This record gives sequence, structure tokens and C-alpha cells, in this order.
Amino acid sequence: MSNFLLYMRRLVLELFEGGWRYFAWTLLLALLSLAGLNAYCKQFVHGLVTTGMTDQVSWGLYIANFTFLVGLAAAAVMLVIPVYVYKDETLHDVVIFGELLAVAAIVMCLLFVTVDLGRPERFWHMIPGIGKLNWPGSMLSWDVIVLNGYLLLNIYICAYLVYMKYLGREPVRALYIPFVFLAIVWAISIHTVTAFLYVGLGGRPFWNSAIVAPRFLASAFTSGPGFIILTLQLIRRYMHYHFPDAVLLRLRSIVQVSMILNVFLFVCEVFKEFYIETAHVASAKYLFFGLHGQHGLVPWIWTALAMNLAALSLLILPVSRSLKYLNLACALAIGGIWIEKGMGLVIPAFIPSPLGEVVEYLPTLNETLICLGIWAFGLLLYTLFLKVTVPVLKGKIRFDGNAPLKAIQ
Amino acid sequence: MEKLKEMRSSRKSFLLAALGAFAAVFSGGIGRAWGKGHGSEKAGRHKPGSHLWGMVIDLDTCTGCGACVLACSAENNQVLGSPAEAAMNRVIRWLKILPSQEGEYPLVKQRLLPMTCLHCEHPPCTKVCPVNATYRNEEGIVGQVYPRCIGCRYCLNACPYTIKFYNWKEPVWPAGMEGSFNPDVSVRPIGVTEKCLFCHHRLQRAREEAAAQGRPLQAGDYQPACAEVCPAKAITFGDLNDPDSAVSVLARDIRAFHLLEELGTEPKVTYLKERS
Repeated sequence: MSNFLLYMRRLVLELFEGGWRYFAWTLLLALLSLAGLNAYCKQFVHGLVTTGMTDQVSWGLYIANFTFLVGLAAAAVMLVIPVYVYKDETLHDVVIFGELLAVAAIVMCLLFVTVDLGRPERFWHMIPGIGKLNWPGSMLSWDVIVLNGYLLLNIYICAYLVYMKYLGREPVRALYIPFVFLAIVWAISIHTVTAFLYVGLGGRPFWNSAIVAPRFLASAFTSGPGFIILTLQLIRRYMHYHFPDAVLLRLRSIVQVSMILNVFLFVCEVFKEFYIETAHVASAKYLFFGLHGQHGLVPWIWTALAMNLAALSLLILPVSRSLKYLNLACALAIGGIWIEKGMGLVIPAFIPSPLGEVVEYLPTLNETLICLGIWAFGLLLYTLFLKVTVPVLKGKIRFDGNAPLKAIQ
Repeated sequence: MEKLKEMRSSRKSFLLAALGAFAAVFSGGIGRAWGKGHGSEKAGRHKPGSHLWGMVIDLDTCTGCGACVLACSAENNQVLGSPAEAAMNRVIRWLKILPSQEGEYPLVKQRLLPMTCLHCEHPPCTKVCPVNATYRNEEGIVGQVYPRCIGCRYCLNACPYTIKFYNWKEPVWPAGMEGSFNPDVSVRPIGVTEKCLFCHHRLQRAREEAAAQGRPLQAGDYQPACAEVCPAKAITFGDLNDPDSAVSVLARDIRAFHLLEELGTEPKVTYLKERS
């Protein structure tokens, strides 16, 4: 036990060491998080009147970001499957960074859901046993369970592996392999359940489509590993954690295939919406061309489309074997998917309402600040996770037998 | 070869683990999930002597005077709202009149559609609520438990009729109005969803009065405020379980239709088409 406490103490101390870049970056993120917290306090006092949502468009930017981030969290599985199922040695050394990202992303997801609640202090109504969770009837209750379960699974796997590394012991397979495999299924399930959240509403034809879950997965497996490609290079550059370019190129092939699937499923959806113009096409029309003189999302969705197509072209061409173009492709894909899967998915389902009311949605400044704050907080968490994990993985922080504390400091 | 074998075995163990996990998750009662509600509701519906409350609105008789809207908001302590809130679509009116226009000028026909919660037999809103804050009771009324609602607005999304309302801010009334509240109806706090309950408090009162007089509740004992106040008698309210009640007879009229019938929600508010 004292060993573990010493370990924790050393990790905490590690957080307060670093160059000016580290402190500037964490300070910036902390300040943005505080700005977000301040904005949330305003919302908490005055109510959701501080947002741009209405009775017609009752979910907005919060749930849009939530949906994107569930995908980011689920994408860790694209590193786990090659390593643990196919014994791919290339990705072995970086798989933990994907799992840590999943933890940070799920924390952001839970925050986005919490800020969307009108009565967050009543969250305990959803705790089984104490509250009255409508499980298995409500898809939201499924989401609460799978998201928290996925968070715990990933925290456990990361914490166990890093601690074993610290102790210099070989991890016991029985203690983590079953959880890794469970986490694989769980990762798919978090994004499927999140898709079902939308699919299960008969009155919203834009969501009520079987293709939503596969589209979610394809886009998640594009944006997630894309995000990891970018962060891995930062880790290599600023934290001096070395791995060959082959790691990034292996991830490139994952992003490549996922992006092709993502665009293909998108084309399927567009065909279904527009070929036969039933009344159900109204939402898609609003999204792509505007409806009754309202076209708030039109520039956004075409930007997303352009970004996705540019990313696809770059990824298919051999040019993206060079890291410069690969990074550009990943950044484009992340941006495109964030728009398409966030605002592009959530908002048009409300416009028009099933009875034909056309009410547009525009997020307020306060709402945007809260979103920025949550993103900053999530990135701060991820930075801090990396800050303590990398030295352990590199062997800089390791268990020195019974060496007195003084010697370590 | 050795490596191949190892890969195969690990793939096998993965598939087995995956299968196990799926079985564990889905055997948990997905069947119950989709069966839930309907069975118990049906049992309640056909209990002899029980009531199933419903409403018929005759669009031919309705003049669009708005008396029902006023009566509803006064009866149920609804916040007055302001023009600014109206512009933001945040005014709470459990009964609203939805205007629509048909045709192109000069052949325009203005239509008005008075709308309350339709108290669906298969309400999409009750199914999605994560905390059981909204439910269909055994007499067919779709209720809302304000102290339990967490304000996630999933039921607003699920309702195809946009007839559930959210308290975007703390409700405030002009000074001096506090004394004029209806004491039978609770005032809703900030951050929860509210909706038409077919003036459920009137049903409770009628039931208590009938019990005090030592007789069973009769359908005529209870009317929601909107039906009572309508000067054109366009709103008929009553027991759908009684095939001879006025509301049942009208609901079978040749002019009868339901909103968005194709969704299978089976609303208990029936409309009668305008005569051409």
C-alpha cells in the first residue's frame, strides 16, 4: 500500500515539473476551462434560457459535441483490436495513448450531457436502486450505463498496465485481457447505443434510419485514429517518446479504410433522401439547401463535405504517406466529421418539426463558451494523463525497491 | 506457423468474449423493454368499469376564439410569457392554436388547429424518459412527475407533436398575481418539462366528490377546462370505453382523423374535419 501511495505521490510531483511549453499549454487550457465554468454558472442560475435552444429545437451544440466525442472515445478500439486480437506489434507501444484518450473523451461526454440537463442536481434519479432508472426502456438509460461502464473499464486497464510498468512487473494476463476484450465490445456498444438514441424516435425521419449506427461507427473510426495520429506526433516531439513512422502509417491505413466507408455510407444516405422526394426529405433539404428561406446550416454542411472529400482524396493518394499531408488529411477529416456528425446530424432532425414548423437554432455565446470550456478541460485531462504516463513508460519513474523517499526526490 | 496458430486462438477467444458480452447485455431484458408498457396498459384499459379519457375537437365548429387557450393557462397556472419569449418559441401553452395556410394567393384558406397533448395510447415520450418521469396511467392520461424530471428534453424530441414544454427559465408572474393561482395545480419549477394532463386535478376532485356521495364516478362528472369553456361546443370530452358516450360516437364519425396517424401513436384526441 505504501508503495502505491509513493507511486501516486511521484505522479503528482511529476505534474509540477516541465518546460515553459508545458506550463503555458496547461495554463491556457485551465483558463479556458474556468471561462467555461463561469459560463456554466450563469446557465445554472438563469436556466437554459441562456442557450439558443427552443421547444422546437430542444437539443443543440451540447448534444452535437457529445455525439462526436462518443465517437472519439470509441475509436480507441481501432488500436486495441490490432494489438490484442491480431497481435500487431507495430501499435503495441502506443495503444495505451488511445485508451487514455478514451478516458478523457468520455469525461467530456459526461460533462456535455450534464450541462444539457435542466436539473443536473437530480442526476441521482438515474442511479439504479436509488433513483428510478427507466432501464431497459429508455435508450438514454442505456447510454448512461454504457458510457460509465466504458469509463471504468478504460481507467482500470490504463491504471493497471501503467502501475505494473512502474513496478517493473509483467502484467498478469488474467487480470487485464478479459477486460480488454470486454472493452472492445463495449466501445462498439457505446456508439451504437448513442446512435439508437436518435434512431429510436419515430417522429424524426432524419434520425429514424437504420444507417445511423453504421455511419456513426465509420465516422468514429476515421476521426478517432486521425486524432490519435496528430497527438502521437506531439507526444513524440515534445515528450520524446520514440516510435517509428510505421506506427503512424499503420494508423493511416485504418483511417483510409474508415474514411472510404464513411463517405460510401454518406452517399447511401443522400441517395435514399433525395432520389424519391417524399415528405421525409424536408430535413435533408434544410441541411443542404435551406427550407422556407432558412439556411443556417447550408454553409456548414458544404464545408464539411468539402473537407471530407479533400481528406478522402489525400488519404487514398500515396501522397499521404508523407506525414505533412497525412496530418492535413487527418485535420480535415476531424473538422469535417465534427460538423457533419455534430450540428449536421442533431439540428436538421428538428427542422422542420413533424407538424411543419420551421424554427432555426443559433447557439448563444454563453453556450459556445461552455462547449469550449469542456473541450479545454478534456484536453487538459489528456495532457496531464500523458504527462504522468510517458515518464513511467520510458522508465524515468520506476519502483526502486526499498529506496528511501529522499533518494527518489 | 506458431504465430498463425496464436493469432487464430486469440481471435477465437475474442469472438467468444464478444459473444458472451453480447449475450450478457441483451439477455438483460431487451424483450421486456419492447414489450413493456403495452401489456400492462392494455390490461388496465379493459378493466370493467374503468375509464379511458378522450377528446374530440370539431374543426368545423371551432371559431378559433382562443377561449380554450386562456382557460387552460389560467386553470393550470401557466406562466404568462412575453413577446420576446414568444419570438424565441419559449412560451408555455399546454393548449395552443396552430395556424396554417393552404393554397396560393388568392385561393388561400386559413386553417386553425387547436392542439393539446394528444394523450397517445402508445406515447413515444414515456418510452424514452430515462427516469420514468412521464408515464401513461391506467385511464389513458399521459402524466408528468415534475419533481422527478431531470430536464433532459428527450421527451420533447420524441413527441412528434411538439406539445411538451420546457421551463427554460424560472417562472415569474406579474406582482400581485400570486393570490390568483389555482391551488389544485402545482407550479412548475425551472428546468423541468410540463404538459397538458387533461386537467387531472379535476378528475381527482370529481372522484372524491363521487366517493363522498357514495356513488361511482360517472363520465359526466369531469370535464377539462378547455372543453367546459368552449363557447362553440367544439370540444367534446368523455369516456372512450363507453361506446355510447358522445365522445366515442364522434370519434367514429366519418370526418374523424388523427394527427400523424402513420406514426402509430394512436392519439386519444380525435379531430373532425371541416365540412367543405
